[in-house]
Amino acid sequence: MAENGNRNQPLLSVNNLKTYFPTDEGLVKAVDGLSFEVASGSTVGIVGESGCGKSTVGRSILGIIDRPGHVEDGSIIWRRDEGNGIQEIDVTKQPPNSGLMRSIRGNDIALVFQEPMTSFSPVHTIGNQLMEAITLHQDVQKKEAEERAIELLNRVGIPNPDQRIHEYSFQLSGGLRQRAMIAMALSCDPKLLIADEPTTALDVTTQAQILDLLRELQEQNGMAIILITHNLGVVAEMADEVVVMYLGREAESGPVDDVFHNPQHPYTQGLLRSIPSIYSKGVERLPSIVGTIPHPFNRPSGCTFRPRCPSYIEGTCDVHEPKFELIEGTKQRVSCFLHHPPAEVTTDGN
Amino acid sequence: MATESTEATTAGVEFLEVRNLKKHFPIQKGFLKRTVGHVKAVDDVSFHVKPGETLGLVGESGCGKTTTARCILRAIEPTSGEILFRTKDDDVVNVRELPRGPLRELRADMQMIFQDPFGSLNPRMTLLDIVGEPLLVHGMDSRRERADRVAELLRLCGLRPEYMRRFPHAFSGGERQRIGIARALALNPRLVVADEPVSALDVSVQAQVINLLEDLQEQLNLTYLFVAHDLSVVRHISDRVAVMYVGKIVELGNSEDLFDSPKHPYTSALLSSVPIPDPRLRAERIVLQGEVANPANPPSGCYFHPRCDYAVDQCKTDAPQLEEIAEGHWVSCWRAKDLDLPGLESTHGGSSNGSS
Repeated sequence: MAENGNRNQPLLSVNNLKTYFPTDEGLVKAVDGLSFEVASGSTVGIVGESGCGKSTVGRSILGIIDRPGHVEDGSIIWRRDEGNGIQEIDVTKQPPNSGLMRSIRGNDIALVFQEPMTSFSPVHTIGNQLMEAITLHQDVQKKEAEERAIELLNRVGIPNPDQRIHEYSFQLSGGLRQRAMIAMALSCDPKLLIADEPTTALDVTTQAQILDLLRELQEQNGMAIILITHNLGVVAEMADEVVVMYLGREAESGPVDDVFHNPQHPYTQGLLRSIPSIYSKGVERLPSIVGTIPHPFNRPSGCTFRPRCPSYIEGTCDVHEPKFELIEGTKQRVSCFLHHPPAEVTTDGN
Repeated sequence: MATESTEATTAGVEFLEVRNLKKHFPIQKGFLKRTVGHVKAVDDVSFHVKPGETLGLVGESGCGKTTTARCILRAIEPTSGEILFRTKDDDVVNVRELPRGPLRELRADMQMIFQDPFGSLNPRMTLLDIVGEPLLVHGMDSRRERADRVAELLRLCGLRPEYMRRFPHAFSGGERQRIGIARALALNPRLVVADEPVSALDVSVQAQVINLLEDLQEQLNLTYLFVAHDLSVVRHISDRVAVMYVGKIVELGNSEDLFDSPKHPYTSALLSSVPIPDPRLRAERIVLQGEVANPANPPSGCYFHPRCDYAVDQCKTDAPQLEEIAEGHWVSCWRAKDLDLPGLESTHGGSSNGSS
């Protein structure tokens, strides 16, 4: 399970990840063959609409998928610097409650949840919850843990931290609560922070504060960030690389500038066009993507975006599944027959 | 925006005029429920809406935008103020003083679209019952007639009339929002108050619903009061925009003027904090410090002064009034005339390739 890796390799590699939820009504393929990499110190944005599986990706990496969900196939390689070499750990092969997973979770990889309202316990003080995380992963006394907790709250910009640690989460405003959440995630200096919609519940001015904070913290301790969001503006602002997901698969990925300025997949193109621009003058009609996201039990055959696609090719898109491949001469990868003609896939199409 | 509130001044009301609207919620404490203070959710708000236009009402959560909208329909009873509305018969009525009966009749003229497409439709009613309910309430007793009208409304909102006998759970978020719109239009209203109608929707579906709202406005000659927090959506749909902060309107003006050259420091900061979906426009933004003021215990003077970079001594003691500084552009700031605030063009690198 653990072997030596190379220092130039990315921090995290997700290969052909498939996370399925068998339910009474049928199999929900929340993530269905996703691959991406996160380099040390970089920010990867995962964008997609509701139900595309973006949150499941984050949970799969940490091994905290709700039952009956499980990783069906694929691997998630976490590379840990042991000083004398790089240890490669396939997270999907570890039992979720093993000592190794517990040492990764919270310590190496931390998660910031979407709802700052519900992710804290309402019956313990903020300080208690922070200290719990610190004492779990580090060999420190209570007194020292408290000092560290105060220092952490200070670092994320919470005023009067020595008083705030005795308060409960409901006494804090939404923005402060999200800051406390980030403080908790940072308590063990993670190498990778997974931020799952960290600003969705916040107002724009608070959102700007939190995004600023994340960027500042990243500069300070060089952690990598996986930013999971539906907000294309937030991704454009923060990410180095983007993965655009649709129904559990990637539609397109690449450097943020290329994907936003030269989108290659019809879905990415449609998505970018359908956001009203804050600069738009007068009343022009918004170009929209027709139809709605299909129900997970009702996945279209072939390319899953086919029923909504303006460039749908009959006899191709509905028969074969497009492969996710690099477009030659660019850094972008797409899964679309417009770029990779079906001839390549007819042989291995079922 | 007259400050006089006598019967004689109703003549100037074009369509809807809100004067000095206040809604204070009491804070009660203890066994005896003594009132220990008030949350001033809406605190002296005045504005007017012209027929056929869209007035956007923006602000952060807790600023009172939803309460203002609901007070206008009297879904919440306002504490004081006047809501003057020109009816179909060309009379001006004060909605706040209407007794039950006439209010119910008037409500046919003013309808609401809600934010949550999941919570606002009764899961046990079919589309026919949901969309037909306002018709039934307003006296359309024949079931057949109602079914015909519902079919027409569903078609108008881009839904297939065959779905009439289905229940809301069979529909996606965007479709449910269309059902909510069909229900609001059932009685041929003239004013539609839309409270965050697209904020619960995915981007690709949001555009469809915005387009639908715009098409309907044109076809049916509707007037919208559009409450939202997403500034891009508001800019797209609104003719004029009012910005609220802690229960007060701080700036009101034509969409273009307000976005391009805001006169209130809060508007300017709000615009600058919107993330733009373009990685080349990662600009230095104005990041507001601190938090939105507590409406139960607001700061002295101008409510925005503790977070304002431009605050002077006067801002700490005296509350500014909403003043017209240019034709149709109202600002409540002591320094509105001498500040040159960054608008959209300057905060985001001057690129305005908004051709979307």
